[in-house]
Amino acid sequence: MNVDLLLQSPVFILGIPLLFAFLTPLADKVSKELRNAVFIIGLLLTALFVSLMAYEVYTIGSWTYVFGAEDPTAITDVSFFRITFLADGFAVLATLTIIITAVGVGIYSFGNMKDFDDLGKFYTLFLLTLAGVMGMVLTSDLFNLFVWFEVTSIASCGLIAYHNERGESVEAALKYMIISVIAGLLLLFSIGFFYGEYGVLNYFLIRDSMDGAFIDILAIGLVMVILSMKASSVPMHMWAPDAYSEAPDSITPFIAITSLGSLFVLFRLIFFVFRGAVEPSSIGNLLIILGVLSMFVGVSMALKQSDVKRLIAYLSVSQIGYMMMAVGVGFATLGTADYGAFGVNAVEGGFFHMINDGVYKALLFLSVGGIIYAADTRDLNRLGGLAHSMPFTTFFFIIGGLSIAGIPPLSGFSSKLLIYKSVYLYNPVLAIIALVVSIVTLALIGKIFFNAFLGPDQKIGMKIPRSMILSMGVLTVIIVIFSLFPNYVVSEIIAPAIEALGVAV
Amino acid sequence: MNWFNFFPLIMVVTLVIMGLYVVLFKKNLIKMIMGIAIIQNGANLFLVSLAYREGYVAPIWTSAPATDMVLPTPHALTLTSIVIGVATTALMLSFVIMLKKHYGSINSDDARRCRE
Repeated sequence: MNVDLLLQSPVFILGIPLLFAFLTPLADKVSKELRNAVFIIGLLLTALFVSLMAYEVYTIGSWTYVFGAEDPTAITDVSFFRITFLADGFAVLATLTIIITAVGVGIYSFGNMKDFDDLGKFYTLFLLTLAGVMGMVLTSDLFNLFVWFEVTSIASCGLIAYHNERGESVEAALKYMIISVIAGLLLLFSIGFFYGEYGVLNYFLIRDSMDGAFIDILAIGLVMVILSMKASSVPMHMWAPDAYSEAPDSITPFIAITSLGSLFVLFRLIFFVFRGAVEPSSIGNLLIILGVLSMFVGVSMALKQSDVKRLIAYLSVSQIGYMMMAVGVGFATLGTADYGAFGVNAVEGGFFHMINDGVYKALLFLSVGGIIYAADTRDLNRLGGLAHSMPFTTFFFIIGGLSIAGIPPLSGFSSKLLIYKSVYLYNPVLAIIALVVSIVTLALIGKIFFNAFLGPDQKIGMKIPRSMILSMGVLTVIIVIFSLFPNYVVSEIIAPAIEALGVAV
Repeated sequence: MNWFNFFPLIMVVTLVIMGLYVVLFKKNLIKMIMGIAIIQNGANLFLVSLAYREGYVAPIWTSAPATDMVLPTPHALTLTSIVIGVATTALMLSFVIMLKKHYGSINSDDARRCRE
């Protein structure tokens, strides 16, 4: 057997976090430095294999990795009864989004968590969550999807409850756990429907045998409810603000990334598997309704928050709405002339917004984490004057804040402009709602900025650690790159993803 | 096909409705978790009853009779689901223990401090 190492990369993207997850507690027995080194090596190796997979996909094209086969890259007639991973443009987009945030958050954790003990187990849960999300977006088998879904849920609940000396953290984790377990059970039922109907669980085989019977519609509806619940879309968003605000500061963006991961799985399923079996406008309009509700409710709930992390958590719910609306518009126009005219641009905008959102939301949450670290309060009414003592954090917050509000020339603007332009052609009302939500978002970012950073110097002696500055700097550089070359990102990363889903024009 | 073939599915529906009732209407967190466990058993029963094919044998090759075998996938899925179910139930119960230590109550109405 002689298979190119590069073609094995999907396995390493999962295997390395799993291996290093259980190496960190062992290394912790030796020394703290060794533990940190093991953790960061694990993260960087995963990033290396993500980029190797990206390189391979962009040079030789996508492939299916079959587990347990003699030649894992060859497709035989039994391949799809094994577990298969799909390495294509869409998987690259999803894994890139996840790994960028994961590396940023990982570096940040060194400084932010250094005063706590038992960090070996913290890093174990971190890497397990990473493996779970990666598995969710890479797999092409419903059974396997269920397993990774549960791995992600259990590990991220452990992370949310990490500060278990506070009752609120435990409460948030319990709420998230109950939601996730019920979602997992509903996923199991929909898997049962697919199995009972067709006797297969692989995406390819389900796609080829689906005929749009009533039981299919039921199963598709269940899957959509589950995944939009995990993606924190309104009206199933109630767990998100609690979980985001009570998780350790460094982990909050990572919980947000598991939501984005679920959204990636949802888009993969509707475009790749369910497309042929349903009326496109039905799923498309459902996504548009969920998206508009999320945008609007998210931002209006954010208006009355005084806890800075809860405020950004609601903003993140409203950002999820943009992606669902844009992709919904694209899906609703599938198969008509409108798709070529503006539908494909809507999908491009939605996907571009996902990768942007992963990065700038991480930067926002991390810079707010810096505020909380220095001032030791999350109450906007008690914060103030931090710009004097924390110039770097202020700068990073401005970059992240302007990007989430979609102000040119930052990356959030490029993706939102694509969304506005294409959605306007579908229904002008949607574009107007999206614009209004953006303006309110800008106002809220301004509110945090004035309350937390401006005002008389409060002489906070606390210096935030260098690793926190470094990780925010890395994320800022990535935002700047996306802002400078939006055309390049769309043509090199987003277009192959759409092509991989089989809906390129 | 007689009515007995539908008996497992009727049991599944009964279990799920019972579990959902408990999750939605009981205030005691431990009872809610028991409700989730009941739904879990309903899901497992659903998968196992889907896997049943009349006249087929278990997929064990050693000295098997020369008849058709069932596909083992749903059984593997059920086993996985049972294992995951134990893990999630244990984790949720341990969260309830910690919540009881902090709040002094296991009533879901008292577990609302995040919002304040």
